[in-house]
Amino acid sequence: MIIAASLCPWPPVLARELTGRDPVITELRKACAEATERLVGARPDLIVVVGPADETRRWDPGSRLDLSVFAPALGSGGNPALPPSLGLGALLLDQVGYRGPRILQGVSEYEGPAGCAELGAAIGGSAERVGLLVMGDGSARRSVQAPGYYDERAAAFDAETERALRHGDLGALLAISPALARELLATGRPAWQVMAGAMRPLPLAADILYSDAPFGVGYLVAFLTPQ
Amino acid sequence: MSPQGPLRLGNRAFRPEDLLVMAIVNRTPDSFFQPGVTWDSSAAMDRVHAVIAEGADIIDIGGVPARPGDDVDVSEEIARVVPFVAAVRRAYPDVVISVDTWRHEVGAEACAAGADLLNDSWGGRDSKLAEVAAGHDAGLVCAHAGRQPPRTRPFRVAYADVMADVLDRTLAQARRAVDAGVDPSRILIDPAHDFGKNTWQSLEVTRRLGDMSATGWPVLVSVSRKDFVGETLGLPAAERLPGTLAAATVCAWLGARVFRVHDVAQTRQVLRMVSAIRGDRVPERTVRGLT
Repeated sequence: MIIAASLCPWPPVLARELTGRDPVITELRKACAEATERLVGARPDLIVVVGPADETRRWDPGSRLDLSVFAPALGSGGNPALPPSLGLGALLLDQVGYRGPRILQGVSEYEGPAGCAELGAAIGGSAERVGLLVMGDGSARRSVQAPGYYDERAAAFDAETERALRHGDLGALLAISPALARELLATGRPAWQVMAGAMRPLPLAADILYSDAPFGVGYLVAFLTPQ
Repeated sequence: MSPQGPLRLGNRAFRPEDLLVMAIVNRTPDSFFQPGVTWDSSAAMDRVHAVIAEGADIIDIGGVPARPGDDVDVSEEIARVVPFVAAVRRAYPDVVISVDTWRHEVGAEACAAGADLLNDSWGGRDSKLAEVAAGHDAGLVCAHAGRQPPRTRPFRVAYADVMADVLDRTLAQARRAVDAGVDPSRILIDPAHDFGKNTWQSLEVTRRLGDMSATGWPVLVSVSRKDFVGETLGLPAAERLPGTLAAATVCAWLGARVFRVHDVAQTRQVLRMVSAIRGDRVPERTVRGLT
């Protein structure tokens, strides 16, 4: 069963090397580190990293992010085919010194809510004590300067996701429309729904560690435990 | 490695060692640098006079900003661009006129009004653009925008090898253009800095620009005051000229032949210096140590 879940966004800038001399997003990195530390601190037998990918499949758990896909000058060293969401999740685990078993689970943006929930349920049953590291972002259309430009629905969409997490309303997460999420460039939708499938029907306690959109992309960091 | 050949634009033919300045003239109210400065058509024509006096070889006229914003439909883009192309052609019968558009409807009207080159910055989104160029014996710029649709910002774009992707896509477009009947000596390729690329990736295509010139196709670069310069130096658009000139210098050294810029006089100076260092141009006056 799931003993804890951490939710982190996966902007490439989470990797310190990618922002150049300026660390840029110190607060966000700190929040992600805290969420990951708390997940590891819950002593799971296994951590499953779930993140959006081109297809729903598992990746070699030894795979690591290859920074060169974003910054060729930084040299290669990981697996360039690994979905960046999973690579950044693996990086977060490495940064807090996690050495235990891990699964890197990609989930396609075309996976519907039912398929995501089913996958989540299977993950929940994969060990006695499963920790989930859910890599997912809110809308990338929160401002005029945002990668996807401004969409007036974006802020409300992200606020609703945050509300659902804060109140452990997994039904609301499962009700998020894939089409709307795609329109709003909210890449986290399938991963959130995998988490909802993995954790329901348990009531949840949620700590929101970070919620902001410094580049017009909704970043939410949370630590969730079943009650 | 294929040698560079002559580049034909309008009724002019340029040798491989000629470095050409393409001056940006935006017919938009909302482009990123000095927005709206040439929105008014008489201000735009004043800029054309100024940049030609400063040594511009090509005037690049655009009606739609690259960044997202208010929709500009085909008829609005034509209204912004085509009458102005005609006016520039009347004022300067021999200057090379380029039109920055991804839409074939705009390209067709612009060529009919006197444009010589279609600058397809969004990388072949409209396959009919090449047919239009062929039909008017105009040139075509084949740019790399990755998988980005027009007027979108890159969002976590990853490449196993960004230069390999640039070469794949631009060369495929160039081949399609030749197949569509565009004169091969009127085709250029452009890595399109910042389009579908983050700063690291734009720095990489600059560093490896020689891979593009080695193909034999003339290379156009558009680096002027772009965000990759701004992010690299931590400077706003107004302060990016030195960084722009540095990037242009490196591109010139690595074989780029056309430089799309806001700052014509400064770029011209840089390119004359690069040509002299290369041995393609004789210095203006050399007496030091020689008297």
